Amino acid sequence: MMRTRLRGLASLTILLVVVTSFDVSARQALDRTKAPAPGKTPELRVPAWTKTTLANGADFIVSEKHDLPLVSFSVTFLGGSNQFEPAERTGLASMTASMMSEGTKSRDGEALSNALQLLGTSVSTTVGGESGSISCVSTTDKFVQTLDILADMLLNSTFPADALERLRAQRLVALTQARAEPDEIAGRVFPKVLYGPAHPYGRVTTEESIKAMTRDDVVAFHGKYFQPGRALITVVGDVTAAGSKPVIEKALAAWPKNGSRPDFAYPAVPERPKTTIYLVDRPGAAQSTVAIGQPGPPRSTPDYYAMQVMNTMLGGMFQSRLNANIREEKGYSYGVSSSFGFGKGPGPFRTGGDIVGDKTDAALVEFMKELKGILGERPVTDEELQTAKDSLIQRLPGTFASVTAINGALTSLWRQGLPDDYYQQYSKAVAAVTKADVLGVAKKYIDIDRLAIVVVGDRASIEAPLKATNIAPIAYLDIEGAPKTQ
Amino acid sequence: MRTGRFAMTVAIGFLVVAAGAVAQQATSINIPFETYRLPNGLTVITSIDRTTPTVAVNMWYHVGSKNETKGRTGFAHLFEHVMFTGSGHVPYGTHDKLTEGVGGSNNGTTSNDRTTYYETVPSNYVESALWLEADRMGFLLDSLDLTKLNAQRDIVKNERREGLDNQPYGRAFEILAQETYPASHPYSWDVIGSMEDLSAASEDDVKSFFRLYYAPNNAFLSIVGDFDPAQAKAWVQKYFADIPAGKPITRPKVEPVVLDAERRLVFEDRVQLPRLYVQWPTVGEKSEDRFALDVLGATLSGPRTARLTKALVYDKQTAASVSVNQSTNEDVGDFQMIIVPRPGNSLTDLEQAADAIIERFKAEGPTAEEIQKATAGEELAFVRGLESNLGKAMRLSDGAGFHGDAGYYKTEYSKGQSVTAADVKRVANKYLTKGRVVLSIVPTGKLDQASKPAESKKVTE
Repeated sequence: MMRTRLRGLASLTILLVVVTSFDVSARQALDRTKAPAPGKTPELRVPAWTKTTLANGADFIVSEKHDLPLVSFSVTFLGGSNQFEPAERTGLASMTASMMSEGTKSRDGEALSNALQLLGTSVSTTVGGESGSISCVSTTDKFVQTLDILADMLLNSTFPADALERLRAQRLVALTQARAEPDEIAGRVFPKVLYGPAHPYGRVTTEESIKAMTRDDVVAFHGKYFQPGRALITVVGDVTAAGSKPVIEKALAAWPKNGSRPDFAYPAVPERPKTTIYLVDRPGAAQSTVAIGQPGPPRSTPDYYAMQVMNTMLGGMFQSRLNANIREEKGYSYGVSSSFGFGKGPGPFRTGGDIVGDKTDAALVEFMKELKGILGERPVTDEELQTAKDSLIQRLPGTFASVTAINGALTSLWRQGLPDDYYQQYSKAVAAVTKADVLGVAKKYIDIDRLAIVVVGDRASIEAPLKATNIAPIAYLDIEGAPKTQ
Repeated sequence: MRTGRFAMTVAIGFLVVAAGAVAQQATSINIPFETYRLPNGLTVITSIDRTTPTVAVNMWYHVGSKNETKGRTGFAHLFEHVMFTGSGHVPYGTHDKLTEGVGGSNNGTTSNDRTTYYETVPSNYVESALWLEADRMGFLLDSLDLTKLNAQRDIVKNERREGLDNQPYGRAFEILAQETYPASHPYSWDVIGSMEDLSAASEDDVKSFFRLYYAPNNAFLSIVGDFDPAQAKAWVQKYFADIPAGKPITRPKVEPVVLDAERRLVFEDRVQLPRLYVQWPTVGEKSEDRFALDVLGATLSGPRTARLTKALVYDKQTAASVSVNQSTNEDVGDFQMIIVPRPGNSLTDLEQAADAIIERFKAEGPTAEEIQKATAGEELAFVRGLESNLGKAMRLSDGAGFHGDAGYYKTEYSKGQSVTAADVKRVANKYLTKGRVVLSIVPTGKLDQASKPAESKKVTE
């Protein structure tokens, strides 16, 4: 107490001597116990954009931002490996994307690399589960040249056979390495357990599929997938809408109308078995990697906002219930969280984290306690609800800081089929969520009797304590998620 | 030297140091900022960016793992965790509530050389962010207790498990540092520290560490984003001016290291494939050679035309990947090479092949085009960095903290751009010598998969 007062006096002296122009409140003895009140809530400034359709059928969005000499450009494709990859060729979409850096009709792989290095930039091609893209960021003065190379990669790739062999070998090494990484093991086993092999969400890239892939597969995937009929072209940054359209039309002049948007019809999710612990042995592991969950709803669910608010309280923030308990209070982990994998299909609810080995059982008890808590045993407080909403709503203005972030935000609207005023309406939708809504979506989407609990850890030391929790029976899987006999 | 720089800044007083004003050239390499110091020694740097209604507040303390004492490795980082447990007037949890809870974020990071704490907030929460930082700078010990320390100790031990002990190859850099530097050298231990030392840290350690290093005269506050500079200055005055300056700080004497011979090690880990690590001791932030070493790394690995990548990954196809880079700390640096073999290729052969390419490079040096390619991406990287308030705050703080000049980024940029082929050839010959550490990480029980297994000493701890 006394120290505090002395500091207060010292402060007054310094203020009088050194500073004369600051406001009156600073001269009064400072009460540090009260958090300063926030100022006026800043206005949400959603970037403006124009949207048209090109002759080849691709949608075309331009958003201008002139404060820095930067341009973010992308061609995004609706649908991904889940829609376009044959089930026995997992990894083909990603392989095809990599092969597009390996040479075109007029530039071999080294020539492409050299040209991009001299422009100081790179072109990135990726195909994920439900969308893919080819994109670049450049300084304004290098944009047209970079775009020329990107278009060449998109339209004129030659897919050399020797490059496929090199990439195949590198991917096999990566798969081998992944077998030693606990996060990777959990990341491969968890979807298999939830969705099974018949569902695209349950498929993972395997050695067999990498080995079986042919150049013909790559050429066929490329021809089928990279089509303007399912594409959105976005240009964000130091360009004008009027000026950029002819530039892009010229660069992509040789891209004829073709392709259509996929319907995202997914097969039914297999019936969920009763809650089970799936134990994957990793002898000697210092920690257990835990993934708990079950299939959830698609992004299009009307429950989206209530689910986001609920998850923010459960495991979406640092001070969410799960992290506050299992990390901060108990010290069992460096961090735990939860999320819903919102996509076009039944993306997973997933919670978990890396837990110190000898607290695996104790942490699991706490995970179950927090799940039961959000299901009604520990009612949500007004303060919790408000903080979760504030966090979600007030995060929005900061999301439009960079050309790539704006590009991502606009592309996301298009991919999810959301309305143009989505960002303007977002805060209203979040603000409208009630405690009853939160409880409702928790009960609807978290079925505590039908959870998959994947634990990758040292079986010898954690098996007996896990059994003793009586949370669920234990099934034993190998690191690929296949059942083991005992 | 340090005092000199401080004295100069003090003489400027509250006058604006308008580094931005001189740079009205046709360049994007510019962060307009103002800087001043409070009488208690706190350096304040402000920079306006109205792109989005957000602000980054970054508090940078000139203390890191190199300031730790023997038997207390990992303490600087453990202390960083304690800084989030509440302070005299700020109950635990309030910090998160006034940052993440209002749509922002917060975190802290610890390196060998500095510890930094930041808040990103909507622009109407700048005052509370300053209040939070001031309270833990002024009043952390008022609310300290052993329970909080113990909880964070357990969390940090889990951080170590997650990042090192339970991670394939996770111990590599810790082992390399131990072998590169003598045991008494402040860069010989990893920032995360040892389990034993983390267990030993006491409340008294927290108190004495805090009193010495967490004083305003050892701190650099950067505020970047959409705010009113006069208002921010008044708030800084209000919350920080009465925090007393601390005692003078004795910095550890850091001698550069030259290894007289090659040191070879092998470490068994729960991995599927062996991997080769090579580390040469080099120079830190204050040396001009670091710029040429950066370019050297970029000419040896990365894009498919880089020397080692082209030879090992593309032409011979004996490696799955190669990565080479200069890692620069304040006082020293390390030049590191990592080779991931393709199955069927021994680490011994890969090491020899890499050495042959490096020797040839040392003899002939890079071409002008190689230099051009290695440095052409810097402008884009810099301009993209300008899109982040936090990125700019970190950059300005690093300049002020390490170089006594928040505008050091300009020097750094121009020195990076002016590296010549002759510079790169010279540093390759100067630093990539026999005096290095070669570490093979192999699957448990497969010591014979090491590079030159007979000459490699087994790491047991």
